[in-house]
Amino acid sequence: MTTTQEREDLLAELRGQNKATIGAVLGSGTIDKATERADGTMEATIRIREDAMAWEPGVLIMPHSGVLELTIINDDKNTHACLLPSNGDKQFIGLLNHSKGSATIELDGPGCYWYGSPAGNDEGRGLTAAIVVTGEVPPEAKLDRPAQPRP
Amino acid sequence: MTLEYLDAGKAFDHSKLSNLPHSAPDVTRGLGYERILQARSESHNWITYYGDYDGKRHSLLEEINAGNVKDLKVAWIFQAGASGMIASTSTYAFEACPLVVDGVMFVTGWDGWLWALDAKSGEQLWRYKHAIPIDVTLCCANVNRGCAVAGGKVYMVTQNAQLLALDATTGRKVWQKPIGDVRAGESATIAPLVIKDTLITGSSGGEYGVRGHIDCWDLETGERRWRTYTVPKPGEPGSETWPADGEAWQRGGANHWVTGSFDPELNLYYAGTGNPAPDFDGEVREGDNLYTDSVVALDVDTGEIQWHYQFTPHDLWDYDSTMEMTLFERDGKKLLAHFDKNGYMFVLDRTNGELQHVTPFVDRIDWGVITRDGKVTARKYPDKEGEPCHFFPGPAGAKEWTHVSYNPDHDLFYVPVADVGATATRRRREFKEGMPYWGAAVEVDIDNMAGSVSAFDSHGEEKWRHRLDGMPMAASTLSTAGNVVFAGTPAGDFLALHAETGEKLWSFQCGSGHHSSPSTYTVEGKQYIAVPVGWGGWLEGIVPGMSGQGHGAALIVFSL
Repeated sequence: MTTTQEREDLLAELRGQNKATIGAVLGSGTIDKATERADGTMEATIRIREDAMAWEPGVLIMPHSGVLELTIINDDKNTHACLLPSNGDKQFIGLLNHSKGSATIELDGPGCYWYGSPAGNDEGRGLTAAIVVTGEVPPEAKLDRPAQPRP
Repeated sequence: MTLEYLDAGKAFDHSKLSNLPHSAPDVTRGLGYERILQARSESHNWITYYGDYDGKRHSLLEEINAGNVKDLKVAWIFQAGASGMIASTSTYAFEACPLVVDGVMFVTGWDGWLWALDAKSGEQLWRYKHAIPIDVTLCCANVNRGCAVAGGKVYMVTQNAQLLALDATTGRKVWQKPIGDVRAGESATIAPLVIKDTLITGSSGGEYGVRGHIDCWDLETGERRWRTYTVPKPGEPGSETWPADGEAWQRGGANHWVTGSFDPELNLYYAGTGNPAPDFDGEVREGDNLYTDSVVALDVDTGEIQWHYQFTPHDLWDYDSTMEMTLFERDGKKLLAHFDKNGYMFVLDRTNGELQHVTPFVDRIDWGVITRDGKVTARKYPDKEGEPCHFFPGPAGAKEWTHVSYNPDHDLFYVPVADVGATATRRRREFKEGMPYWGAAVEVDIDNMAGSVSAFDSHGEEKWRHRLDGMPMAASTLSTAGNVVFAGTPAGDFLALHAETGEKLWSFQCGSGHHSSPSTYTVEGKQYIAVPVGWGGWLEGIVPGMSGQGHGAALIVFSL
């Protein structure tokens, strides 16, 4: 088992220009949680740092299912894009150098939803990230049985 | 110096970057229960899952017939395509049955897709994409078997157990209801069925130890009218077939994941139920385990079970009985035919569930014996911990979920037969919600496969057999009054067979294996045959020797 520092050191061997993985290895990026508003909708910011080839945060947590308003920032000096999951249709936005936009998406919970930059092979180079909806399904969708053990 | 960000604007629907018109003619507005009751009389359309409530998958169209089917050609192809990562990428399959209403086709795909297409040209009119989490619990594949249409709406379920009502002209969502608990391992793959002013659905997830249920929803509002669990609680009828002092009923399976059939005169919905959980470890669930592996006849107004018949009591082989219940009449009797995964054809009196006769329909059966009067004797099953047990048919059954069709003029059922064995080795595991709950290691034979499209009369006598070249069938058949049976093979061939002799009349190589339900219709008097082609699904269980076959994602439509 590696320590936290060892993990960071090992990941640093991969992360960066001309290293084994240019962007962040899936699951090795930063993590953050969306802010819940009074009306139950959520908001958060995702961004691409210069030369990082990775979304920040790599994992964005939604505390429950519903509507999420995203601010999307491209701090890179290259053009990228963002294709996000949402009920009805995927949401697309082009991201010129040093640009900022927004997206409104609706997701059911719970589960892990991937998104990425569908430009060149941005997704393979690291511009793939996750939005994870936590929580439970509504009571009416639960099975009529006693609480069961979970892993 | 700080540079202002360029304004990237607001994200928009991905489909705007296409030539979609984003609208379809308003063809389903006048479509409701009265028309679905008479569905076969409008054979130019295919307005409900099996083509009619009786589950026959038989069309009265005959422009394409045994004499001219050799001239069949591709009319158009719809390429579904995909972008981004999806759940169960390696197992997605195109399993749907396309519906057609007055020139507009509605067809579902994997991963939350639904498309409206021009049924004459193949032009995509609109699309809907539900967001499906990549970690959704799917036992067997990322699939969906179809939609339902009525009253200006299209209805579908999603892999993450949601029921959706969409506007049929725009594809925009009208309402949405959660119909299962994904945290418990539930999902949904069934094509909903419109009956009266309601919609019937079921759940998937028997391999995860859920408790199966059948639900009825208000067509307009999505309000749930009733829910019937297919594993009874202690004290409920059938609970005596589960261990009295245990927890087995809470995890018993019996999921209804394939559309049932309906008799409007009897007001009964015939629902097939899935395997008990755990699939192979029967020691933790002693008893017959009702209502697993059964047909349950439900009063559609109340959901009350009026009668049941269990095809495989205390299943130890994963022999779901979810597949079609075909309603037909013989000698003035209202009957129901069912070709089960356990290798036997059952004919029941559908008024009361009384067995008429049982007949085997596959060559190799050694898991046990069912006599003609229905007595079941198990012979080979995974019994002792760690001890391998080989049996025929394997867990995919002698016929998987894919459907027979029935031509009443010839009294012939056209059966997609799979003849494959498997070895199961019992490996007990403690139940944990959301985790696989099989109770065995299972290895399906890969070098000893066989299969056919076989024609049986309603008495169980085999009339002809079209053998496949060393592989099982894994797609539904389609019967037409043109005296033709259509069937797709795992190798990609779409076959037209003579309904009375089984002679091969025509074939077309589709470039990918078949695991769907073809349908037929006419537009402006011209008949078309539509078949979704996309090889995938639970291939390691169904046809492991073909699991390296390439995927596809196309809907191919043929005409003369």
